[in-house]
Amino acid sequence: MTELPWLYAGLAAYALAVLVAFVGVGRLGATMATVGGVGSISESQRNNERLVLSLMATSVILLTITLADRWLRIGHGPFVNLFELLISQLFSLGLVYTIAYWLIPVLRTTSVVVLPLMGVLAVWVLVIEPSDSVFPPTYHNPWLWAHVGFGKFFLAFCLIGTGLAGVMLLRSYAFFSKLFRHLPDNVILDKLAWRFMLLALVFDSLMLCAGAVWAQDAWGRYWAWDALETSSFLNWLLLGASIHARTTYNVPIRLGAVLIISVLVFAFVTYFGTPFYSEAAHKGVI
Amino acid sequence: MRITAISGVLRRLASTRLTLLWMLLLALGAALSYDNPEDTSIWVLIVPMLLLAVNLIAAIISNPRINRRGGLLVFHLGLLSIVVLAAIGRLTHMDGRVEIISGAAFSPELVTDVHSGPWHNGALADVSFVQGPFTVEYRPQIMRGLTHSQVALSDNEGGWREVVVGDDRPLLVEGYRFYTTFNKGFAPILSWTSQNGRVTETGAVHMPSYPLFDFKQSNSWTPQGGDEIKFWLQLEAGLTAEEAWVLDGRHATGTLVVNVSGVRTELLPGQRVEMAGGTLRYEQLTTWMGYKLFYDPTLQWMFLAAFITIGGLSAHFWRKLAAEPLGLDDALRHEKRHAKKPLPASRSAA
Repeated sequence: MTELPWLYAGLAAYALAVLVAFVGVGRLGATMATVGGVGSISESQRNNERLVLSLMATSVILLTITLADRWLRIGHGPFVNLFELLISQLFSLGLVYTIAYWLIPVLRTTSVVVLPLMGVLAVWVLVIEPSDSVFPPTYHNPWLWAHVGFGKFFLAFCLIGTGLAGVMLLRSYAFFSKLFRHLPDNVILDKLAWRFMLLALVFDSLMLCAGAVWAQDAWGRYWAWDALETSSFLNWLLLGASIHARTTYNVPIRLGAVLIISVLVFAFVTYFGTPFYSEAAHKGVI
Repeated sequence: MRITAISGVLRRLASTRLTLLWMLLLALGAALSYDNPEDTSIWVLIVPMLLLAVNLIAAIISNPRINRRGGLLVFHLGLLSIVVLAAIGRLTHMDGRVEIISGAAFSPELVTDVHSGPWHNGALADVSFVQGPFTVEYRPQIMRGLTHSQVALSDNEGGWREVVVGDDRPLLVEGYRFYTTFNKGFAPILSWTSQNGRVTETGAVHMPSYPLFDFKQSNSWTPQGGDEIKFWLQLEAGLTAEEAWVLDGRHATGTLVVNVSGVRTELLPGQRVEMAGGTLRYEQLTTWMGYKLFYDPTLQWMFLAAFITIGGLSAHFWRKLAAEPLGLDDALRHEKRHAKKPLPASRSAA
């Protein structure tokens, strides 16, 4: 398997990014402690952020090579087994988060929440068998691409929202409160987090619709309450109800943060649990 | 007075708390419907959807936060239309299964395992096509690949138009969708002539799905005026489990083993056997393709409604977010200021 060295190199770059991100945020905390609890963003911190960004970008590039090499070798994209799905998600989550990290400086501190979450996928991909897969005949369909693509954006926006939610929740502890002192108020972070969840709802809806069109073409029905469909629909309902509650009622920031994290946890189970504990991801496919 | 009372009722029905409650009920119904268990009634989905539909209608009419915002109004109307279309779809749908031998025309009588809604009014009798040959690609270890099924469609001008369908490319005729399935196999065509010559019939005996039941290519048939005949087909279809292979009935041959009352005879195409009650002739070996049949006249409308609904939602979010500054720029300016000097204590705590 020629793609494995690229994968390991990509994960190594990613692990370094996690380390540098933690060291950077830790240093910031130490600086604040030195100046009596009042901190500032120094040039060295900026350099640290640039290093994290470079390492994440390197990891994404190496994962791109991993995917391309595997694709060329086995003749199809990463759509079938868990090994492929994990690499593919590490690539897409990494790509979206890297771009967001670059463009929205406020998000940079969320790396101490987001990168460890992605680390779960990275460790997981290392412990499973990197087996080849057989491309099912019903996967030769452009709607599969749309379905998977929309799903990747949905999960990435949930992850970014969760990064902000995690920061908001961690701030209630004195230690993290110091670390995150340079960030805007929770009110602003809360607004930003929910904006990502609004985007997540749009892409989740698009994912369900594209999936239904694919299912109609592939298996002659657009909805059949199979394990993955039921789990996806419950995830959509949870996200919709959370946004409905957030926009209609004065949901406390911490409760809102818990709701955001719940949506990501549910999505995580839907993506990486349901297709593999149920007998068939979508009946008659694999 | 009456208008006020109606408005009051509408406001109660449009309650946002009820929306959350009905969503929770729908989530419960969806969880119970997982994998369509036989002991779960469809009403666990219909009731919360109806309640949500009432809640939606009331909200659309009475809630200015919805009916005065174009995007949000489109989103809510879209959700309502999806529920209505899904209901119409279930009432008018039809699904079933059909096996057609190569060279034979589709006939509605061939459709089995039919499920249809009470308002189903499709023109299945007008569906006309002739099944042609088909191929199925297999990878090593008999992993099924692409199916290419040739079908001749009537062009309504006395001619025929050939199309190739398979897997995720269904045959679409008169609103009915025919999907190829893994279910396909071989069928010996047989002729039976009774001893007195009065009864002559020709038909195909569908052998079990191939190569799934490669080891069990047997079936039986009882002709008019004769005893039950048991058949076993010895196939030469080129199947090798270790190598890639293409199932193509045109390149397959088969010896038909005929067994009547313990008397065993082997027949090649064109050969016949005399037995009690008449003569059986093995005409030729052909193949059959199994299709899944699906009809739902709301599909295109559902597609349109779903994407308009998402369009409405996106437009609403776009306008809302553009109209409500996040304050992030201020926050960033604040951050930049403190890149040069310490943060003021009042803004430092979360």
